[in-house]
Amino acid sequence: MDQKEVQERVIKVVAKVLKMDSTAIAPEANFIFDLGADSMQSLELVAGFEEEFGIEMDEDKALSVQTVADAVDFIKGYL
Amino acid sequence: MTSKSGIHEKNLEKIFYPDSVAIIGANKVRGTVPHDILDNILKADFNGIVFPVSPKEKFIAGIKAYKYVLDIEDPVDLAILVFPASVCHMALEQCGQKGIKSAIIISAGFKEVGGEGVERENQIKAIADKYGLSFIGPNCLGVINTDPQSRINASFARKMPEEGSIAFLSQSGALCTAVLDYAQAKHIGFSKFISFGNKADISEIDLLYYLKDDPKTKVILMYLEEVSNGNALMKAARDVIAGSGKPILILKSGRTSEGASAAASHTGSLAGSDEICAAAFRQAGIIRCSDIEEMFNIAIAFAYQPPPNTNNIAIITNAGGPGVLATDAAIHDGLKLATFADKTTAILKKNLPRTANINNPVDVIGDARADRYNIALSAAFDDPAVEAVFVILTPQSMTEIDLIAREVAKVSSHYDKPVYASFMGEADVQEGIEVLQRNKIPHYPLPEDMCKAVATVYKFHQEKHDAGDNIASFDDVRIDNARAILEHAAAQNEPFLTEDTALKVFAAYGLPVMESYLATNQEEAVQFAEKSSYPVVMKVMSQDIIHKYDLGGVALDLKSATEVEAAYNTMMNNIRTRQPDANIKGVLVRKMIPKGQEVILGVKRDPSFNSVLMFGLGGIFVEVFRDVSFRIAPVSEREACAMIDETKSSALLKGARGQAIRDIPAVVEAIQRLSQLACDCPQIKELDINPLIVLEEGRGCFVADAKIMINHTVKSS
Repeated sequence: MDQKEVQERVIKVVAKVLKMDSTAIAPEANFIFDLGADSMQSLELVAGFEEEFGIEMDEDKALSVQTVADAVDFIKGYL
Repeated sequence: MTSKSGIHEKNLEKIFYPDSVAIIGANKVRGTVPHDILDNILKADFNGIVFPVSPKEKFIAGIKAYKYVLDIEDPVDLAILVFPASVCHMALEQCGQKGIKSAIIISAGFKEVGGEGVERENQIKAIADKYGLSFIGPNCLGVINTDPQSRINASFARKMPEEGSIAFLSQSGALCTAVLDYAQAKHIGFSKFISFGNKADISEIDLLYYLKDDPKTKVILMYLEEVSNGNALMKAARDVIAGSGKPILILKSGRTSEGASAAASHTGSLAGSDEICAAAFRQAGIIRCSDIEEMFNIAIAFAYQPPPNTNNIAIITNAGGPGVLATDAAIHDGLKLATFADKTTAILKKNLPRTANINNPVDVIGDARADRYNIALSAAFDDPAVEAVFVILTPQSMTEIDLIAREVAKVSSHYDKPVYASFMGEADVQEGIEVLQRNKIPHYPLPEDMCKAVATVYKFHQEKHDAGDNIASFDDVRIDNARAILEHAAAQNEPFLTEDTALKVFAAYGLPVMESYLATNQEEAVQFAEKSSYPVVMKVMSQDIIHKYDLGGVALDLKSATEVEAAYNTMMNNIRTRQPDANIKGVLVRKMIPKGQEVILGVKRDPSFNSVLMFGLGGIFVEVFRDVSFRIAPVSEREACAMIDETKSSALLKGARGQAIRDIPAVVEAIQRLSQLACDCPQIKELDINPLIVLEEGRGCFVADAKIMINHTVKSS
């Protein structure tokens, strides 16, 4: 799976969990500071990524990921 | 003071009196900190503009929300950060870019959690420094200002307190909410209410200086868990008290003896952190309280009433027992029962029942109604010998509790003298207590607490509070000599100075030492003894022997060459037998100091307060009797005298039970010289002069034994 596809699918999950238009989500956006994710939504994002990509991530490390771009890199490590 | 103190001084005003506030990280979820802070600001009727900043909300509570603080077109005076700790640095960076100079960081997850949290805290401090921005927190409850000019409740407390003249500062946010609830029940108001959390930027020192000049604050209360810079706290407290007359009451937790156990000297083992803290607070004029209740008992006495000019009080009671209890407590705490003028007793005699006690304490008898209290109160206030009136009430079936409370408020309002009340009981007296509290009459459930609080106020106003600048500096000291000796010992990794070397350090600072010599053989010992004149003392000197008495390394009162020779041989045999591997430097020989009163002087380093001085009853039982006092160096002559006076053994120096009066001025000077030595030479880790032998008046005092432990990690500045 290439970088572009992973990014598109990450943004899709983020848009669904945070109830946002996917076009408003930039790769450098911070989940909390720019997109307004709260602590519950951060957990939902981790669960959403695991479901989308069929992977199981280290939760503590996954929760420390702050931006869309970092999430893409982090998930790629599991693919 | 820190390098940012000037910046904080300027920026603090906008923390308490902002014209506009941005709540960064606000949301719409009730019961969360970001929501409730915005809600509190709106409910408190803040006298300014509010800008919610939220990454995803367009409106919160009907107010337009901004995605970023940079999107706000108008100027913002104060930013309140409620974002999670992981993104606070981003929010603070934008605050800096926006030109905001004042912030409150509520968020937790910084130094208090260790690891990454420490890095985060350093990061936000660096951002604040970069932009000349000042912030309170992080990890705090927030800030409240009840002044109608601002009325800002920038906290997530449950309620806005009443307006008042007491400022409360706390390192613990959770304690703040408990205090707010406690105070509300007693109608105690606040001028400023500040939870300062991790004090990463603005500290309690900066806040003390701000409150010094705050016209709305009369009394400053503080809860502290750690004293990170004790000397700065003492200086700030002195400046506040001397400069404004405002009392500072501190509740300090953490009364542990940690740190004392590993000490190598008497001073080290006696000077625990709590004793040092207590001494430092007393020295700086800070009133230390043992619990919240005591703190507020004293605070309301300061805040609600003028201070009594003398300690002559009148007690008016409808119950004999509580009157006696109050009398006992008053006398115990240093107050006096005023002797009434004839006119006063005549009025009381004429208007009270025959069974009433018309002398002080006045007993208006159990069936007294409001009219009798009125008569007694007016008579007491009118008496020129009475400076303060204590009103005690117990609830009998006919007692007009509510009316009597109103009478206390009404009558006392016509006088400049203070009044205090103790309506004893709980349920029945509640209505009267409410009347007293609403009328700012300090109320105490127990007369004993009333006496203690008023005595504290009286003593505070009697004490001379100066800025701590009256420190004598002896210009005959040879600082370079002392430092050279200490630095040499540190370079050689010596753990302590043997007495012969320690005496040279003391001599350089003008401390009274007898001339002494170091003999390296028996012949030299005799030669030096003859030079010193008999009787003499001999002590073995070795870096390997710290307790020379225990090993038979000391010989006293040697009156002839024969005795010196014998003592020398015995001493060498003792050491060879008991500690054969000890490397002996020589034997110290000096004239025997005449008999006198033995006292101890000491120095210890403390991580918060630096140089701690100790004075007390000397000799080998110093740890048993613990009759010691402490001060933080440098000390003034007044403080040195107070150190002596605080101990029970001062009576021995003053000639108790027919003993000779000792040369106290010589001890006072020795304490001051030791204070200067401790401040000048950070290489001294701990120091004991035990004993310092104090001779009769005019004959001085002399160091008879001494020990200086070396700190190898510091250099002179």
